[in-house]
Amino acid sequence: MNASVNALELKNVTVVYGEGTPFCKTALRGVSVCFPEGSTTGIIGHTGSGKSTLASLTNGLLKPTKGEVLLFGEDIWAKPKEMRTVRSKVGLVFQYPEYQLFAETVWDDIAFGPKNIGLDEEEIKNRVRDAAEFCGITREELERSPFELSGGQKRRAAITGIIAMRPKVLVLDEPAAGLDPKGREEILGGLKEYRRQNGTTMLLISHSMEDIARYADRILVIKDGEAFMQGGLNEVFSNAEKLFDAALDVPQITKLFIELKKRGLCGDTDVYTVGYAKKEAERIIGGSGNA
Amino acid sequence: MLKDVTFGQYYPGDSFLHRADARIKIIILIIYLVIALAAQSALAVALSAAFTLYLAVASHIKLRLLLKSVKPLIFVLVFTGIINLFFTAGSGEPLLQWKFITIYREGIRNAVIMLIRLVSLVLGSAVLISYTTNPIDLTDAIESLLSPLKKIKVPVHEFAMMMSIALKFIPTLIEETNKIISAQKARCADFESGNVFRRIKSLVPVLVPLFVSAIRRAEELADAMECRCYRGGEGRTKLKEMKTRPADWIFLLAAAAMCACVIFLNRVPVKEVFEFWKGMF
Amino acid sequence: MSFITCRGLTFSYSPESRVVINGIDLEIEKGSYTAVLGHNGCGKSTLAKLMCGILLPTGGSVCVGGIDTADAERAYEVRRKCGMVFQNPDNQLVASIVEDDVAFAPENLGLPRGEIRRRVDEALATVDMSGYAKHSANKLSGGQKQRVAIAGVLAMGPECIIFDEATAMLDPTGRQEINAAMKRLNREMGLTVITITHYMSEAVEADRIIVMDHGAVAADGSPREIFSQVEKLKAISLSVPQVTELMYEMELDGFAMPRGILHAMEAADEIEKRAGGGKK
Repeated sequence: MNASVNALELKNVTVVYGEGTPFCKTALRGVSVCFPEGSTTGIIGHTGSGKSTLASLTNGLLKPTKGEVLLFGEDIWAKPKEMRTVRSKVGLVFQYPEYQLFAETVWDDIAFGPKNIGLDEEEIKNRVRDAAEFCGITREELERSPFELSGGQKRRAAITGIIAMRPKVLVLDEPAAGLDPKGREEILGGLKEYRRQNGTTMLLISHSMEDIARYADRILVIKDGEAFMQGGLNEVFSNAEKLFDAALDVPQITKLFIELKKRGLCGDTDVYTVGYAKKEAERIIGGSGNA
Repeated sequence: MLKDVTFGQYYPGDSFLHRADARIKIIILIIYLVIALAAQSALAVALSAAFTLYLAVASHIKLRLLLKSVKPLIFVLVFTGIINLFFTAGSGEPLLQWKFITIYREGIRNAVIMLIRLVSLVLGSAVLISYTTNPIDLTDAIESLLSPLKKIKVPVHEFAMMMSIALKFIPTLIEETNKIISAQKARCADFESGNVFRRIKSLVPVLVPLFVSAIRRAEELADAMECRCYRGGEGRTKLKEMKTRPADWIFLLAAAAMCACVIFLNRVPVKEVFEFWKGMF
Repeated sequence: MSFITCRGLTFSYSPESRVVINGIDLEIEKGSYTAVLGHNGCGKSTLAKLMCGILLPTGGSVCVGGIDTADAERAYEVRRKCGMVFQNPDNQLVASIVEDDVAFAPENLGLPRGEIRRRVDEALATVDMSGYAKHSANKLSGGQKQRVAIAGVLAMGPECIIFDEATAMLDPTGRQEINAAMKRLNREMGLTVITITHYMSEAVEADRIIVMDHGAVAADGSPREIFSQVEKLKAISLSVPQVTELMYEMELDGFAMPRGILHAMEAADEIEKRAGGGKK
């Protein structure tokens, strides 16, 4: 895997809704951003900042008013008639995806995407089986109606339906919204494992700084339709002041280390997971002299 | 496609039509429909068109919106126009005869009357009711007008409540439909190609989730309403009082007078009026 | 004084189906601020519906302000005393216009017009939405819609409000708005507030936390007491605030860290106190 390859790239993208009407609104303004192959980028920003607009751009549901969207270097709007090929490569999971379940059985629902791509029966079977197995959906559950499942199971079935298309890029809009801690862990942990096994590029839209710190390796901050900050976790979280300016937060544990730095107890503030925080805190207590 | 739905589109404003009592407006709408449908003679049609024009101007609704309400009818308008123009058999000499096309004087007359009538019907009801009446006022008005039916056990309050809730949820459901369409498109669903049968079939993945969600919403709303002590129309009071002001009564009288005029004018042929006019001098 | 009292409360949706609430004895004090935690399906939403009389117990009893919820004659009194704000802001607003929606409950109660007006204005002012009285409810943000929903309950003149995951569908800004409103209702207006939530940061704000598991109360105490029991919470797959977890992990490594630390500042104080001191 070549790390310098960009799975997805937005080049100077501007999106204007209702151009030429009095209700005209610029949702994104000159956004240029790269998503390297195999990375997971956490996308944060306030409601209405343009996050969802960005998500709809990635698979051609929305056409940029200006600028280009490149998928592995190719403009996705070069051949608009082949947009379905793009959509099979860029899996987009909307917020509350369980509300799109419709088929009689979970199996049929998961098979919907692969069928639409036009795969043959055997391939569809394989893909549904693999995706279901990975997402922990049992054989018995596959035969049931999706509407009989619990909330968390429904969410999993819906995401499985996207994974079954074997996308190269997976875009997830708040995949854990409304779930309890266990459900969150199952979904997000499962996605992380999926990425590890398949090298899928992921875009993870989330409001939870803690989740982004745990599951992403890059961050894109969108503010008022512009790419406000982007880079590795360290770069962004160590710039807490700038995040606070955008009325965004940092994980609680990072806050603790910002405070510790203020009190002169440690030098780094790029601490954002409990595991690393423990090492640092124990180092501070264990004897700040020998550090 | 769904963006063009103008049904139930209320445009807040402060014209006298906005301020008028919704109950009076409903009665006037009925009178108005009678006027538009009854007008036969040229004078009557002219009067009815003038009334429509007056309402449109008085509503302070932008011309663009007014045209939007007529837009979905373009096909019907053209169709009726053509039918009337070509297929009305007249008594006198045809004005035009070319191959199988024959146009009589009466044809032109009928086409013009039909067009004016249709446009008046749509524009008038849009201006009187949809654009200038808050949906809540409208359902309240319907409930109030139909309240005599409560005596014979017609569930008038329930009907009105259902209607106002339906109106409240239209924008929510439209938004939801768009979301589901996007989500299924992201799964490579194809809504655009294939024959009619295939296209209808392709809507299943949209309609099923939409129904499921509508039912879920209804259940949750029912709980929320119960929690807020809803128990039907009995003993219920209202925040807003429906007031009929003198201006509303005058408006109603004017409409009734207009109706009488139109019916009268229908009986007066234009020629005789001219003769009468000439005779005066 | 106890405002809500549950005695041997059990509930199942039908005789054949599984028992959702399994023998709960509970008292909620008047004017208290309680958070109910638990994973999905542990019965916390059902408990909320039982407490405001939308569901009736299949065994045991619930008393709200001295009235048994099973007393059909006084069902509306129970609902008036104990209001509820639900999860989905779109599915609990009845009317298109903000003030019409807030007026819904007082209209149902058959109050005179002047009184309805007064209550609507007061309720909207309490949630800081007076400027939106004539606005269309559909065009508000999630947080604003939930505030209107709160106003709609307030206008009923309740003594207690139950929030059933009322922040679950909101963004952080909306969540802050609703949490601030909850606090104000409790601290300034003396209302009994019960909030059902997944968010630990919200539970920390309450005076008391009830943890539910399998339809029963698994733990009950102050936030500090509850979050001292990290193992227990983890066992029923609930999470704790990051700093609480940090302190717990350090304790496992042999550092004498206090339990029940909830805020970053407290944690910083504790670490500073021990800095350079080494293991004890």
